[in-house]
Amino acid sequence: MGTRHRPSVRGMLFAALAFGALALAGCSTLPASTLDTYGDHARRIYELLVPIAWMALAVFLVVEGALIYTVLRYRRRAAGTMPRQVHGNTKVEIMWTIAPALIVVVISVLTFRTQAANSQMPADALQVRAIGHQWWFEFRYPEQGAELDPADCTKSDPKECPKRADLVTASDLYIPVGRPVTVQLEAADVMHNFWVPKLAGKTYMIPGKINYLTFTAEQAGIYRAVCAEFCGEAHALMRFRVIALEQAEYDSWVAQHRVAPVIGGNGVLGGDPNRGKELFLNARNLCITCHVIDGTGAKGIVGPNLSYYGSRQTIAAGIMPYSPENLERWLKHGYELKPGNLMNRVLTRDWIAANLTDQDIKDLVAYLDSMKVSIASPPAR
Amino acid sequence: MAIAQGHVGHASAPPTTHVPAGLAGWLSTVDHKRIGIIYMLAAFVFFIIGGIEALLMRVQLGTPENTFLTPDFYNQLFTMHGTTMIFLAVMPMNVGLGNYIVPLMIGARDMAFPRLNAMSVWLFILGGLMLYFSFFAGGAPNMGWFAYAPLTQKPYSPTFGVDYWILGLLLTGVASIAGALNFIVTILNMRAPGLSLNRMPLFVWMQLVVAFILVFAFPALTVAQIELLFDRHFGTRFFVPSQGGDAVLWQHLFWFFGHPEVYILILPVMGIVSETLPTFSRKPIFGYAFVAFSGVAIGFLGFLVWAHHMFGVGLGPLANAFFAGASFLIAVPTGVKIFNWIATMYDGALTLTTSMLYSIGFIAMFIIGGLSGITLASPPVDLQQTDSYYVVAHLHYVLFGGSILGLFAGIFYWFPKVSGRMLDERLGKVQFWLMMISFNVTFFPMHIIGTDGMPRRIYTYESGMGWDLWNLVATVGSFLMAASVLLFLWNLMVSLRRGAPAGNDPWDAATLEWSVSSPPPVHNFDQIPVVQSRRPLWDHKYPEHAGDDHGAAAPDPLLAGFEQPAIHLPSPTYNPLILGVGLTTLFFGILYSSIPPLSISLAIAGLALVALAIVGWVRDSHKDSPYAAH
Repeated sequence: MGTRHRPSVRGMLFAALAFGALALAGCSTLPASTLDTYGDHARRIYELLVPIAWMALAVFLVVEGALIYTVLRYRRRAAGTMPRQVHGNTKVEIMWTIAPALIVVVISVLTFRTQAANSQMPADALQVRAIGHQWWFEFRYPEQGAELDPADCTKSDPKECPKRADLVTASDLYIPVGRPVTVQLEAADVMHNFWVPKLAGKTYMIPGKINYLTFTAEQAGIYRAVCAEFCGEAHALMRFRVIALEQAEYDSWVAQHRVAPVIGGNGVLGGDPNRGKELFLNARNLCITCHVIDGTGAKGIVGPNLSYYGSRQTIAAGIMPYSPENLERWLKHGYELKPGNLMNRVLTRDWIAANLTDQDIKDLVAYLDSMKVSIASPPAR
Repeated sequence: MAIAQGHVGHASAPPTTHVPAGLAGWLSTVDHKRIGIIYMLAAFVFFIIGGIEALLMRVQLGTPENTFLTPDFYNQLFTMHGTTMIFLAVMPMNVGLGNYIVPLMIGARDMAFPRLNAMSVWLFILGGLMLYFSFFAGGAPNMGWFAYAPLTQKPYSPTFGVDYWILGLLLTGVASIAGALNFIVTILNMRAPGLSLNRMPLFVWMQLVVAFILVFAFPALTVAQIELLFDRHFGTRFFVPSQGGDAVLWQHLFWFFGHPEVYILILPVMGIVSETLPTFSRKPIFGYAFVAFSGVAIGFLGFLVWAHHMFGVGLGPLANAFFAGASFLIAVPTGVKIFNWIATMYDGALTLTTSMLYSIGFIAMFIIGGLSGITLASPPVDLQQTDSYYVVAHLHYVLFGGSILGLFAGIFYWFPKVSGRMLDERLGKVQFWLMMISFNVTFFPMHIIGTDGMPRRIYTYESGMGWDLWNLVATVGSFLMAASVLLFLWNLMVSLRRGAPAGNDPWDAATLEWSVSSPPPVHNFDQIPVVQSRRPLWDHKYPEHAGDDHGAAAPDPLLAGFEQPAIHLPSPTYNPLILGVGLTTLFFGILYSSIPPLSISLAIAGLALVALAIVGWVRDSHKDSPYAAH
């Protein structure tokens, strides 16, 4: 965090040198800076931005310089001076039509090269589906989840039967370092937009259409990400994290996550995780109407899958860091913390007061917190 | 009149048309000058309202995790701010100036269709009022001025806000299309004898280009809005992906309108500074043909770049490359204009009036907006910058640093003609510098926070992202901008009553509007002027410096036989206003289609008023005939 509090110095430099300073500001370490890249897609964009920014700076200095010079030089002529009535100069005008044309040709070529590089989709890339919902991100790893019993398969051709279910999670996208990832982008309701500034440029998630974005994380880390397309009331609070792990650690995460979670530990905040589980699975409390927890009777599909919730980075799609205390706040006051969220349209303030005691909430927190995956957390970038 | 030539036909008695006094005179006016003033006043009121909306948003964003506004109200504010500034402030301000100045510049006595002109101004105002009525009818539109599908569908936007947005803008859309046709016919058909296209003032050229853009671009928006209206009210599924509709289709239709719209907002202003810069440099425009045709080129290319608003949508690298190339190409005619403006000032005798300062400020800020646009036109870079505060910075450098600073140049330039009094120059200069500084304090930091990853259209943000300081700076800047606008308002009110008398030609200018009194008589010209050059008034005042680069033109013998037409002015009428009120009532009926008794009675009342107005309108043209000589 120490280096994050230098915005004024960096910013003043920026203001002084206008766009060209984009290059100098490349050392920015702010959490969502597009200049501080850790992924190949974002890095190639940055490497394209730098020459464009220098050209823009040169044009800026020349043109603004000419403007200011002209104004200062000719502003105080004696009253009644009649300047030479020059109507134009075709040669000069053709010249300054061609000059910008040449510059944009150079920029176009650089642009097309980066476009070509950034639209590659290697066949061996890890495939992940990312689905935008109002107002959270769902991530599905096709056929990476629990083993399926072939006897359950209804397909006529047994070869088409998937060996494994999808591995499903939300709000945290786990990927391996150094291997291309192709994210298949979809939307469940309205348009959303998938943006991990330090790893890749943004791409829309559009209902009725599938988009693909391929990028490779170049270093392990936890990366900030947001929905970048306005998607309704709580758009500002629709965030996620990308957690890039070394391959072995990533494999371990998948292996742990594909096994249904069990309760571990004795409970936090004085809650009883076993009682919390009972409360969670009791249909009267409505949790299972919308949520899934692998290996339990919770099979709702509207809300995020809550398996291994105790290892989440954040609560409620990135509105606060994960901690049992924050989870308790969220369950009690979600309607205030994230206005408009779909859960609290049903679980209103009155409903919560009438149906859940403080102890019930502590027990639920203890249950959700008890399901943990064990991995070494990479640094926040 | 000094510069009129040719025979005086009929003795031109002052027009005998009876104009009612007071408010009635304004409500029934068909005079292009009064209509222009109504346009500009209404646009200024909407500009103030849109500005207040911006200030509220800046307060909310001044500190992280602020709770000054609720999320939904914030979303209403940014939707209304964008919609207001584009459709109800900058566009009508341009139209208003054009309305007032274009007929004077081309030596005409009015627009080609004065009653249609009146209908346009009333529909614009009624459309704006209808849109704002939504605040009192369950909530303003809250889906963004771009209204992306399917967020606009009933399940996601259940209030009437979206419907008010559609129908209010449809009214202003009718006004705009009718207005544009009026400009095209006026400019092509009603120029004074000798005023060929090649001699037409550049302001008129740009108004003509804009009118053509409008006629081709606006229907795309109108179609999209009507389809959306049908989706929401009558069960169609144009933009419902789950039922076979296409959400991306909306974006294509919207931006096919939306990008040319940018040029609708900026080209008239480029026309303004193409008048002010030569006047205050005491020189002709440098490269008249290049400036005129680069405007045409921008208007044309503007139709080939809409998908650069959609690089993230996934149209594929090839399509993106095409739209990127076309977008880069626009840098060429834009660059040409800027170089020619600077060359116009070069070696001139500059008078740094407030109008001139604003013209120079316009160029300086527009350069920055143009350069930040280059990175946005490059699809890979765009993917990092679009939907971030970088775009907010870019668009305000173009639309505020460009359009609005240029409009201030135009207002300071033509206010003496419109009011007969000068605006206070000292106040004006203080206001200019305050505006330049505060504008940059407000919007320059947005480049930085956008580059540092702050998305647009968020009502709150976390601390610790490095955005806090610059957001606070921008908020402080926005209030200084508001102070500058208040100073202008003060200047306007004081100068209207106590400003120095302007005389006909306070700036020693070159074009025809300065040859008549300030304000001009109802019929503009006692005698229609005969034009021999691009600078008719200048050539009359300075015959030794007359003509173009080929020297002074010899008087055209064909024009010597020109017979002055008698003065023909249309009589005042309320029918355009009644038609507007009727159409608005009908639109309210459509809006409340879910409540049949209300809906049907409003629709019938509205249709009845429209029918009444049309019948009256037809009779109006007969009333005019006594004043027509031929």
